[in-house]
Amino acid sequence: MKENVASTVVFILLLFLNINLLNGQSPPGKPEIIKCRSPEKETFTCWWKPGADGGLPTSYTLTYHKEGETLTHECPDYKTGGPNSCYFNKKHTSIWTIYIITINATNQMGSCSSDPRYVDVTYIVEPDPPVNLTLELKQPEDKKPYLWMRWFPPTLVDVRSGWLTLQYEIRLKPEKSAEWEIHFAGQQTQFKILSLYPGQKYLVQVRCKPDHGFWSEWSPESSIQIPNDFTMKDSTVWIFVAVLSAVFCLIMVWAVALKGYSMVSCILPPVPGPKIKGFDTHLLEKGKSEELLSALGCQEFPPTSDCEDLLVEFLEVDDSEDQQLMPAHSKEHPGQGMKPTHLDPDSDSGRGSCDSPSLLSEKCEEPRANPSTFQTPEGIEKPENPPKNVTHTWDPQSTSLEGKIPYFHIDGSKSSTWPLPQPPNQHNFRSSYHNIADICQLATGAAGASATFLDKTDKHAFKSSKTIETGAEGKAAEQREVESFPSKTDQDTAWLPPQEKTPFLSVKALDYVEIHKVDKDGALSLLLKQKENSDQTEKPSIPETSKEYAKVSQVTDNNILVLTQDPRAPNLALFEEQAKEAPPSLPQNQAQKDLASFTAPPGNCRLQLGGLDYLDPAGFMHSFQ
Amino acid sequence: MDKKRSSLKAGSLLLLLLLVSDLLLCKSVASLPICPSGAVNCQVSLRELFDRAVILSHYIHNLSSEMFNEFDKRYAQGRGFVTKAINSCHTSSLSTPEDKEQAQQIHHEDLLNLILRVLRSWNDPLYHLVSEVRGMQEAPEAILSKAIEIEEQNRRLLEGMEKIVGQVQPGIKENEVYSVWSGLPSLQMADEDSRLFAFYNLLHCLRRDSHKIDNYLKLLKCRIVYDSNC
Repeated sequence: MKENVASTVVFILLLFLNINLLNGQSPPGKPEIIKCRSPEKETFTCWWKPGADGGLPTSYTLTYHKEGETLTHECPDYKTGGPNSCYFNKKHTSIWTIYIITINATNQMGSCSSDPRYVDVTYIVEPDPPVNLTLELKQPEDKKPYLWMRWFPPTLVDVRSGWLTLQYEIRLKPEKSAEWEIHFAGQQTQFKILSLYPGQKYLVQVRCKPDHGFWSEWSPESSIQIPNDFTMKDSTVWIFVAVLSAVFCLIMVWAVALKGYSMVSCILPPVPGPKIKGFDTHLLEKGKSEELLSALGCQEFPPTSDCEDLLVEFLEVDDSEDQQLMPAHSKEHPGQGMKPTHLDPDSDSGRGSCDSPSLLSEKCEEPRANPSTFQTPEGIEKPENPPKNVTHTWDPQSTSLEGKIPYFHIDGSKSSTWPLPQPPNQHNFRSSYHNIADICQLATGAAGASATFLDKTDKHAFKSSKTIETGAEGKAAEQREVESFPSKTDQDTAWLPPQEKTPFLSVKALDYVEIHKVDKDGALSLLLKQKENSDQTEKPSIPETSKEYAKVSQVTDNNILVLTQDPRAPNLALFEEQAKEAPPSLPQNQAQKDLASFTAPPGNCRLQLGGLDYLDPAGFMHSFQ
Repeated sequence: MDKKRSSLKAGSLLLLLLLVSDLLLCKSVASLPICPSGAVNCQVSLRELFDRAVILSHYIHNLSSEMFNEFDKRYAQGRGFVTKAINSCHTSSLSTPEDKEQAQQIHHEDLLNLILRVLRSWNDPLYHLVSEVRGMQEAPEAILSKAIEIEEQNRRLLEGMEKIVGQVQPGIKENEVYSVWSGLPSLQMADEDSRLFAFYNLLHCLRRDSHKIDNYLKLLKCRIVYDSNC
């Protein structure tokens, strides 16, 4: 019985419940906030999604409270944003503040609340699309036609005060096309499109984005029809120009290919390299004088015979064969206390002359205007014309070799093309500088080695070549010794075979001294150059004059030795003495390596050391007094 | 008769005084002119200074935003930090305008000084942020590099702002007021959750304050340089 009652009650209850369930009424489901947006960072709207309504009419309320406040508010406006929305107007909107928003769904059965949503208006800004998009085709006179579009920011957004800063983007496509062409427009409210297909209808849209927010929707499409004649009229011009320039380039290439070499050589003429035929620079560099001498065809060295007739040969230099000259010896000025010469940088092509400023010592009072030519020294006979005296030219016809002092400058710094000692057969004196040794040799009639300088073909021009040769025999050894003097022999160093027998006496300011001989210490015996006939005398002869240069009054820093007369008779001893002292003075001069050391004839060979590789033995005589 | 005259005189005198005082008062209420020295280059250089400042502030906020998002994605998921990071910024004591109307009502000098205060308040936290992020386990390179960059740019922006202030209101040197940050112990807590929340909070406040500065500067730029016609 009781069981029956109990079961009945349960049954009724269940029935009741079922009836209710069959009716579908329940408390509302949980609503959910979909999104909150602010179109201009001054107001915002939140939308929610209702949950199940439980079969009963359900009402929704939105409640919120702000960060830092305890008060809970309800949504001020449910209408403006549409159904299931809440609009917060300016009064109710605070930026940089978190809103904690909750939706409450309530129905007869019960209520349900959503999860709270934390909203900061700062980060939910999504503006409306830009408005008033206008399109216009512009075809200016001389320029390309283009599509010009402009728009305005959305009405609600306050751009003028800087509250929001907008950036824009446009996109366009031909009507039938599927792909949009997107362009970023920055903060400007207009845009130009240049590449358009004529005859098409284009659709254009624009959207905007605030500085820290979301992109807006695309604006409604604007369309425009491109006329058929909307072409790039100047494209044909460009095609024409391109073809012309291509043709021009082809022609240039063809011309260059055909005549490239001659054109290049016309523009950039090859630089001549000075050479002396038959001269082996490598041998020079090695400093093996024997080999060099032998290569040059030198005979015994130094010359043994006195060369009375040793004439100072004059170098005749002319312009024709610069290129044959040896590479310029670097010239060095031994600063030996000589009077400074006129050391002009001699940049000519390799000529040296007494005229050249570099050659001129104090003896040459006037540097000539044309320093690059050698001229025959006028000789002692014309001392009054010092400049001329110092010029040397090889003049086959010149008869006044004797007694003439060749002025040689050993110029350490010039790069003029000194004709280095060459094989006698090959040297063309006429076009070359002679280094001091050459001149000295010639002057003193030094043997052998000097002959090497001389061009055998021009032998007549070199009076002293024979004398040199004569002296060469016994002097080879001394030559070597002498040659080894200058610690650094440069190219400009005179190639002076030792002379033994030609005490050189010379007289005047511009006298030429002849190197008589060079003894084993490298002392140069100098002879005053006598007047000699044009024939080369092979014997150095004691000059008749009693004048004799046996002293080096000073040495200029151009390696020019200034000799003075020494009334003493020349004697070997003196020379030897002198010679002893001469060598030390030599090494100071040279810095060039090309030729073997030049032997500065001590004493009377008045050679002036200057810029052009002349050796001035006066310098060596500096210590003799 | 005399009384009338004297009263009339007094009345007119009073009126005159009132007028004069009104004028004076009106003048004093109005804000100081920009570029008071009238230097030739003042307007031009002010424009450049503002342009540069705006670029810097915009950049700093972008970095802060990215940094916050990365941290959130990586460390803060499911921890409910957002519910706790309420009213927890050290700069909330500085009374800053909370919407456009308030911002537009402030005088530009006050707004400039406010910006300076906020910037100065962040010198210390940024410095410690860098050092603490470095010390984090598996220090995230992206976050660290952004923190370093922000610190540097913040310094530059401060310099620029001081220059602007020097030009807009020369001679007026306000005391260096700023909010003191005392969150360093939280950043160094042993409890990982607490420590991560401290970072989250700091990055959240940085993002917000950098946005404020950026917004204020853009407002000022349009107002001062472009005469409210950007």
